[in-house]
Amino acid sequence: MPCSHAENMKVKILQWHAVASWTWDAQDETCGICRMAFDGCCPDCKFPGDDCPLIWGACNHAFHLHCILKWVNSQTPAPHCPMCRREWQFKG
Amino acid sequence: MTSSSGPSRKALSKIAANRLQKELAEWQVNPPAGFKHKPTDNLQRWVIEVLGAPGTLYANETYQLQVDFPEHYPMEAPQVIFLHPAPLHPHIYSNGHICLDILYDSWSPAMTVSSVCISILSMLSSSTVKQRPADNDRYVKNCRNGRSPKETRWWFHDDKV
Repeated sequence: MPCSHAENMKVKILQWHAVASWTWDAQDETCGICRMAFDGCCPDCKFPGDDCPLIWGACNHAFHLHCILKWVNSQTPAPHCPMCRREWQFKG
Repeated sequence: MTSSSGPSRKALSKIAANRLQKELAEWQVNPPAGFKHKPTDNLQRWVIEVLGAPGTLYANETYQLQVDFPEHYPMEAPQVIFLHPAPLHPHIYSNGHICLDILYDSWSPAMTVSSVCISILSMLSSSTVKQRPADNDRYVKNCRNGRSPKETRWWFHDDKV
């Protein structure tokens, strides 16, 4: 019977090719400090992704980690968010 | 004196050059209303023509802003001054220095040349009287050695104009 024949059919996968895409889940497209795309990397880096991560502040504004660190480290005594001026704190 | 080049004449860092290229490209597509960038091959110094807004004390007058970028722009503010003759305004000194907090203590790296220009035009537009700051002569005398306004300790006590 054709039906039972189909139930017995076996498929052998010889090879497969997977493609994935990723994107940062930020509200903006570009970093407010360097103006480069979030899905790209900061001007100091060569590769986007884990090597050049995004970081969020308590105020929910996102920047390239490398960009906001340069700003925060240059500010005394208390750094503020470049976008909203609230005191900068890394989102915990 | 107004053409003094600012505290640091160090070449732009890679980040600074990169960002300024982007700002320039963005400016060419979408310049702020009332401003004209005078093209030069110097990315580190922009000269920008400002047209006084219609219906204000400065309508139909044109002035020139000179913007010098430090090595670590945008982590540091650009130096922004009016070239001679500077507009008569209670916050603008006769040597072109501008008393505006965002150019000094309140700078943020998210600001751009374009947003700074708009702030300056807004400061001009809200003026009700064409006069120099009360301490103009004393201040200008103090700057005679070509000091940058970024080295001034500014007091920002008036947010009405």
